[in-house]
Amino acid sequence: MIQDKPNTPTAPTFRWSDFFETWGGLIAFVALAAFCSLFPGTRDHFLNPENIRNIIHQNSFIGIIAIGMTFVIISGGIDLSVGSMAALIGGLSIYAMNKVIGGMESEWMGVVAACVAAPLIGMGLGLINGLLITKGRIAPFIVTLGGLAGYRSIILAMADGGEVRSSSMNLFEAISSPRNGIPLPAWHNAAGDQVSMSITWPIIIFLLMAVIAQVVLSHTRYGRYTIAVGSNETAARYSAINVDRVRIITYTLIGLCTGIAALLLSSRLNSVGASNTGNLFELDAIAAVVIGGTRMSGGKGRVWGTIIGVLILGMIDNVLVLADVSTYWQGLVKAGVIILAVLLQRSRSEN
Amino acid sequence: MAEPILTINGVTKDYPAVRAVNNLTLSINRGEAHGLIGENGAGKSTLMKMLSGLEHPTAGSITFDGKPLNLCTPAEAMKLGIAMIHQELNLIGELSVADNIFLGRERTTLGLVDRGSAETAALKLLNQLGSNVSPRTRVNRLSIADQQLVEIAKALSCEARLLIMDEPTAVLSERETTALFRVINQMRLHQGVTIIYISHILPEVRRLCDRITVLRDGQYVKTVEPREADDAELARLMVGRDLGDLFPQRAPHLPDTVLEVRNFFVDGWVRGAGLDLHRGEIVGLAGLVGSGRTEFAEAIAGLRKRRSGSVSIIGEPADIRSPIDAIRHRIAYVSEDRKLRGLHLDLSITENSTLANLPTYGFPLLNRSARQAAANQHAQKLGTRCSSVRQRVGSLSGGNQQKVALAKWLDTKPNVLLLDEPTRGVDIGAKQEIYQLIHGLAAEGKSILMISSEMPELIGLCHRILVMRNGRIVGSLPGERATESDIMHLAAGLRENRVA
Repeated sequence: MIQDKPNTPTAPTFRWSDFFETWGGLIAFVALAAFCSLFPGTRDHFLNPENIRNIIHQNSFIGIIAIGMTFVIISGGIDLSVGSMAALIGGLSIYAMNKVIGGMESEWMGVVAACVAAPLIGMGLGLINGLLITKGRIAPFIVTLGGLAGYRSIILAMADGGEVRSSSMNLFEAISSPRNGIPLPAWHNAAGDQVSMSITWPIIIFLLMAVIAQVVLSHTRYGRYTIAVGSNETAARYSAINVDRVRIITYTLIGLCTGIAALLLSSRLNSVGASNTGNLFELDAIAAVVIGGTRMSGGKGRVWGTIIGVLILGMIDNVLVLADVSTYWQGLVKAGVIILAVLLQRSRSEN
Repeated sequence: MAEPILTINGVTKDYPAVRAVNNLTLSINRGEAHGLIGENGAGKSTLMKMLSGLEHPTAGSITFDGKPLNLCTPAEAMKLGIAMIHQELNLIGELSVADNIFLGRERTTLGLVDRGSAETAALKLLNQLGSNVSPRTRVNRLSIADQQLVEIAKALSCEARLLIMDEPTAVLSERETTALFRVINQMRLHQGVTIIYISHILPEVRRLCDRITVLRDGQYVKTVEPREADDAELARLMVGRDLGDLFPQRAPHLPDTVLEVRNFFVDGWVRGAGLDLHRGEIVGLAGLVGSGRTEFAEAIAGLRKRRSGSVSIIGEPADIRSPIDAIRHRIAYVSEDRKLRGLHLDLSITENSTLANLPTYGFPLLNRSARQAAANQHAQKLGTRCSSVRQRVGSLSGGNQQKVALAKWLDTKPNVLLLDEPTRGVDIGAKQEIYQLIHGLAAEGKSILMISSEMPELIGLCHRILVMRNGRIVGSLPGERATESDIMHLAAGLRENRVA
């Protein structure tokens, strides 16, 4: 009964549950990183700058999608279609690139075509999801479950179940290559050898998008509306918020993120595997968002939490490989971390 | 002489930050209806939680039926015969009436639920309560009043001897309230049930109860019989000071028309309603629940589709089809349902106060300090009691939540305010403040339409009172000369003087 709380203003009292709700993800991150740096089986390799760079690089693709997923989940929705969508977008972009390279004899123009096509196709597919959810009044889970099956099916049919190979010689691959990017100053490692390394383009794009997304969420009208819609859709409508528009933008936004991720991902492999590219990305992205402290039912969340969630998942994969644990166990460890994170962050109000 | 069924002896309850109940001693007689009143934070709900096993006293003892009461869970309270009916009903909409009544205590035959015998038993209980609801009906098809009867039937089915009712009439119409009171009196007579009745609506408490206990700041103030104290005296006891006149002195309004609404039709609710609002005028909109008042106001504010009807503002036609249009034409609607529609309870005061007006706080980036300054300014002007504007709205009292809801709409700088039940679930001290605020807004030249089910506040505050019935405005009464019986006659259709 809300109106019988004491009338007098009281300063909010400290509670451990609040503390963990806010900082649980970061604590878990630091704890895991500390463990990886100290555990005898992994400490020799884990703190190696190149290893850390690789963790971020390899997870930037999921990370970019998870940024979009943060908005979707905060708005009270879900998007299960992103994995299949990434494969479809990647495949279509490579088709477009190959067409241009074949027709115009210019690798440059082909790569530019792919770079333009991928985000646009992503936004288009996201827009379709958004329209079906708002104007078609179908639950996001159902619409995007359809996307999960449908988009995958299209790319499988187009590639005849196989691969879509890029006809770019090496320019397309260069985008996501670990050798390119912004070089760091060279240094000498423990053995005295000179080492040099670059911050790759996917890392730069990922972190840049994260910063922009956090600013959008906290400091723009659209961001505040997204939170309001997820927190109480009816009250949002009564507050003169165009709820449908907010939700359509949100799904278009995750489409854009998926498009960018798909471009980088297909560049990394210089091809798209119709059956395996992007497979189960939706679950990793949702897991990262949840570990990051975004409320599954919407109305509350943060982008930086998601970034930590992505890095935690990446570290788990990495450290298990370093410790020579069978990859078959990775799923179980991730499951444990996800459940633990949610347990720590469960707020009083949801009990 | 009456023998007590419940004795509360020097009970204290401490929370980390506050002493909610302080050395309270009180006894309730068997078979009586005992009213419990007090402002928000007076300790009523903490006391009720202790009686229903949700909380435990820090000190003192409670005796029920001659035995010390040591409850650990609500289920134990139920076993002893203490049932509580909360303001928000605890029914499962998708289940039938009978299923709800016997929820958790299903009658079984060979391990299978015996629907037939449950329905027979439910029917018997409902008949005792004078209800003709079918036990097979799904609960979400019932009116709130009928749902409440189902709750009462559930309590009776557990052989409750002490029934605690928390604001049961807040969502009932006058007629439903009368019916509920009849049921309560019957239960006392035939089943010997004792009632503890909590309410903010003083005339009702005086009508129903044999004795009334007033609490203030967690302490016992006084127990009176209804004939010993009138509403003003009860209010004085609750607040601890003389409230003076509950309503501010009526001030004249200007003659120019600000809002003209004509011939509104909303499917299922409004059948040709219209009204005029003048500058600085407070117009009341009375009517029974279901008369279409809320739907009419929502349609004016663009929240509900209308089939036909026109609006003009200061003589200019205004095409309002969405809440965004309404804001552009400086019309604001403050909903009766704060929790569901009016506010985002898990967001801060700042967030709520500026949400409807975000487009004015900068693009692409919002100006955070401007938003906080605006929220602070509203909180100051409206007298919102909070630790800071960063506080979650859900942690405020009802009266302060209402002020935040008001702030949200004042932030859009409206000329016309449509206030739907602005004092619902608000204690008397806060009510008086809200009356002052409404009065002040009218004095600033805003035009106010105030929907209310509490006739005294319409009579006390409004220049004019419109009465709505079956989707039409059926009468207009001058505020200072209207009586409750005038309004009731019009609202119930016993008399009609059609206007507008």
